[in-house]
Amino acid sequence: MKRLYQSTLLSAVSGCLLLAGCGAGGSSTAATVASSTSSGSTGTGTTSTGSTGSGTTATGTGSTGTSTSGTAGTGTGSGSSGGTTTSGTGTTTGTGTTTGTGTTTGSTGTASSATSLATATRLLDQATFGPTSDSIAHLQSLSTTAWLQEQFNTPPTVLANLPATLPTQCTNNATPCFESEAWQTMLTGPDQLRQRVAFSLGELFVVSTQSVSGYALVPYWNTLAADAFTNWRTVMQDVALSPAMGLYLNMIQSGKPAAGQHANENWSRELMQLFSIGLVKLNTDGTAQVDASGNPIPSYTEAQVEAFADTFTGWTYATSTGTAPTNFPNNTANYYSPMAAVEKYHDTTTKTLLDNVVVNAGGTAAGDLKIALDNIFNDASLPPFVCKQLIQHLVTSTPSTAYVRRVTNVFINNGSGVRGDMKAVLTAILTDTEARSGDTNTSQDGGHLREPMLFLTAAMRALGYSSTNIDATNLWAYTGLSSYTSPLGEEPMRSASVFNFYPPEYVIPGTQLNAPEFGLENTAAVTLRLSLANALSTGSLNGFKTDLSKTSTLGVIAADPAKITDTLGVLFMHGQMPTDMRSVIINAISGLSDYGQRVRVATYLILTSSQYKVMH
Amino acid sequence: MTSSHSKQSATSRRSFLRYASLAAAGNAAGLRPFGMLNALASTAAPADYRALVCVFLYGGNDANNTVIPFDTKGYANYSSLRGPLALDQGTLLTLPGLQNYALHPSLPEIQKLVNSGEAAIVANVGTLLQPTTRANYLAGKVTNPSNLFSHPDQQEEWQNVSPSGSTATGWAGRIADTLGSSHNSGASIPMVTSVAGDTLFCNGAGTTPVAVSPGNLTGASCSEGAFCATRSAAAQSLVTFNSGLSLVQADNGITANAYKYAKALADATASASPLKTVFPTANGLAAQLQQIAQLIAVRSALGVDRQIYFCGIGNFDTHSTQLTMQATLLGQISAAIGAFYQATQELGVSNQVTTFTMSDFARTMQPNSNGGSDHGWGSHHFVVGGSVLGNAMYGTYPMLAFGGPDDSGSNGRWIPSTASVQYASTLAQWFGVNASQLATVFPTLGGFGTNTKLDFLG
Repeated sequence: MKRLYQSTLLSAVSGCLLLAGCGAGGSSTAATVASSTSSGSTGTGTTSTGSTGSGTTATGTGSTGTSTSGTAGTGTGSGSSGGTTTSGTGTTTGTGTTTGTGTTTGSTGTASSATSLATATRLLDQATFGPTSDSIAHLQSLSTTAWLQEQFNTPPTVLANLPATLPTQCTNNATPCFESEAWQTMLTGPDQLRQRVAFSLGELFVVSTQSVSGYALVPYWNTLAADAFTNWRTVMQDVALSPAMGLYLNMIQSGKPAAGQHANENWSRELMQLFSIGLVKLNTDGTAQVDASGNPIPSYTEAQVEAFADTFTGWTYATSTGTAPTNFPNNTANYYSPMAAVEKYHDTTTKTLLDNVVVNAGGTAAGDLKIALDNIFNDASLPPFVCKQLIQHLVTSTPSTAYVRRVTNVFINNGSGVRGDMKAVLTAILTDTEARSGDTNTSQDGGHLREPMLFLTAAMRALGYSSTNIDATNLWAYTGLSSYTSPLGEEPMRSASVFNFYPPEYVIPGTQLNAPEFGLENTAAVTLRLSLANALSTGSLNGFKTDLSKTSTLGVIAADPAKITDTLGVLFMHGQMPTDMRSVIINAISGLSDYGQRVRVATYLILTSSQYKVMH
Repeated sequence: MTSSHSKQSATSRRSFLRYASLAAAGNAAGLRPFGMLNALASTAAPADYRALVCVFLYGGNDANNTVIPFDTKGYANYSSLRGPLALDQGTLLTLPGLQNYALHPSLPEIQKLVNSGEAAIVANVGTLLQPTTRANYLAGKVTNPSNLFSHPDQQEEWQNVSPSGSTATGWAGRIADTLGSSHNSGASIPMVTSVAGDTLFCNGAGTTPVAVSPGNLTGASCSEGAFCATRSAAAQSLVTFNSGLSLVQADNGITANAYKYAKALADATASASPLKTVFPTANGLAAQLQQIAQLIAVRSALGVDRQIYFCGIGNFDTHSTQLTMQATLLGQISAAIGAFYQATQELGVSNQVTTFTMSDFARTMQPNSNGGSDHGWGSHHFVVGGSVLGNAMYGTYPMLAFGGPDDSGSNGRWIPSTASVQYASTLAQWFGVNASQLATVFPTLGGFGTNTKLDFLG
């Protein structure tokens, strides 16, 4: 079916796009307007939009110069990274996340408008917690390459370790405090790409507050964020030795088995099945290898699960100074140092791992762990397994096999002989022609359902919500947001099981579509999400505020029903709202005399549409 | 402030289910309290009503500590093999009709139902494609279900009773496909209802389930006053457009059904009043089963005479601290199922509703080195209802011996003696699937010859 798309959307975007922070300067105006010609209005063109790094020449001045000034300006004084580090053992407070929506001041107004509006908005939808008027303008002022570089260079927002005495708002429970910090970081951190990747890593290397203390989740989140742009092997190492994962999948306190017992298999099995290689051997394009009879080939045997389990024995909490204790198990919790080994409790028998790699008898816990993790890291199935899931989390549930293969090849070798280079992999995912073709071709199939947490953050960021709580500690002001996503099946790092909120292998009933997030979508969830959209679109989030009244920026625009529809269409739908949908919204709101209500109703109609819910 | 969510304490916590996170949402903000439903006494209930209720124990319940040998020799052997995981014999709940076995101490309501003949035990059931022995398993002479010992695969294979988890339909969905033309004419909701989110179990080839969030049947909230109807109409019109995009179309379909079912459920329950049966609080499974009982109460308003319900409870993956964790979970199951059975008596349908458990797998008989057990295979299950021939054990309890004739390896991962498809087929035949339909609903049943049915249902 041939569809027409709005082509006049940018008329609504001229000048200050909208909402708070618009006053950042004229540069955003210039950037926005300058790029206005490249949004694919017909959906057929393949016009170059500078999406895949064609703007590299502009990078030199843009990226490095901007990253300093831009991010420094957003911190509002609380210091985005000045606090604790992931390895710290203290319980420092107050150095938490930044506050307020990140208002990057238009990055020096590099004259060249390197990125189209559609590319900017879609990339921000893929790679951040949702576009804002400011972030759109900022990205448009750069090339995509420069923006990625800027994000790579932005230091992590560090969640503050939780104090022994929690704020009363957390009711003696560390989880709400941790969740608040997580929400605040997602919504306001300047390191959006890093945090978005960390968020996805957290849905791969799942740890849940269902059984692990919120205290331990804070350093775990920080570890994922710190490692987001390093190497996959680094992520594996740091996750393996994190107390949070140790607690969740029981590598911690798993000692050499006594007679009549066996080593706990939880971590060894799920490390392979869920985090690394999967159940069956994969081709580089992510498809299953098959034997002569056409059957998938198992990746490992039960005996190998047991061998890895034996290999991973002997780990316990480090002492308060981060050293190895002498006792095992050491039950004095230290969530802030990597686990430490007590050699006497490490199984030193010979084990045979994948690909006939042998762990010789008599090894140390750390030495054997290295052999085991290297063994898995170097397994041929790991790159496609990891890359496909990262693509699904960031860009599309249904990547072509060619797309998976292209990214896998970068994972295998970043061009300099390095395997697992995260920056290279992320760049490959986000700049791939398949990720970017939707910038100009609105018929491009793909995308993924916005999972509840990302649905909430995207709407809140687009609508300019800010917290109304006075929280000098930065530990609890955002915690109430979990009550909006909990009925929909999500809270930060609170999955029901190690299989994440939704199963990676999920296939939509009645289709062949492997679309993981749809595991949370059903007729009950849809209705609950309608209620959430109602709250979001009416400015009714408890503990948060935004101005959607007739005197607000959006309310003023709403004097013209078409114009407000197009403005919201840019913020939420990349300026690619189908014409039939656009007409319904304009018709629905035109009769309303309250321009604030026009904003609310139009927003609701967008948020509840499948066109929006499926980010594409 | 119109947010329907605003009343929830941010710190009220609930337990998500594996893949089923909408369950246990009874405390979710803004969800209407129970109490809006009733049996609508003025409406005649369908005379020939039957319902199956699946209770899924996510994570793999340790059946070895659920049904325990109780005779002197059997208990001594159990205790020796289980080591630190062995339950004290004096705490076990006895079964006068099954004197060689006893139940976990946290199952008093189940004990009562077994002893009163309203519940049965089905021993050592698991995923199988053909009868399997240790010898032919180790020799590779049987076709095994794929990915044994893997959670998602074994969950799915219990739900779809197929050779692998990748088959797109579950056995409840296939029953709905098969019986849809002969039952529930004029129904306003599908035959299958999940109160625990989307699961493979519920999906048919031509049918989809309705999902219900427990305690929340009144539809979405709207803060636009007189304009709500117009807003809703516009929103509903948006999902009728053909976007040409696969995932958008898929979501359009789910969303359109959501609007339809939300109205049907709200209409059917609008004038109802509460059940008298008291369900336990702070028990996610109880909230789900209470919701199911209340929907059964309005079956005539919904126009259904055959229903399959799905609910579940998680956290059975007890690789560590098993003793305390499992005791808590089994206590919740027992109390919830006990109350649910009582509710079916209140509604006069206790002979027409059969409740049964499923789980990924059992766990290793052998304990691991930190207070837990690992993924097993064959497991023991409960079937509850007035039509159940209770106070009995069906199937064959395994010989508890490491490396023994029922062990798939050396840690006590029991090879099932009864296939999950035989268990499912028994339930389905009671529900109304006839012999000529069995092969369609259960394509793998043929691997078991004429043994398509156990005897636990009258």
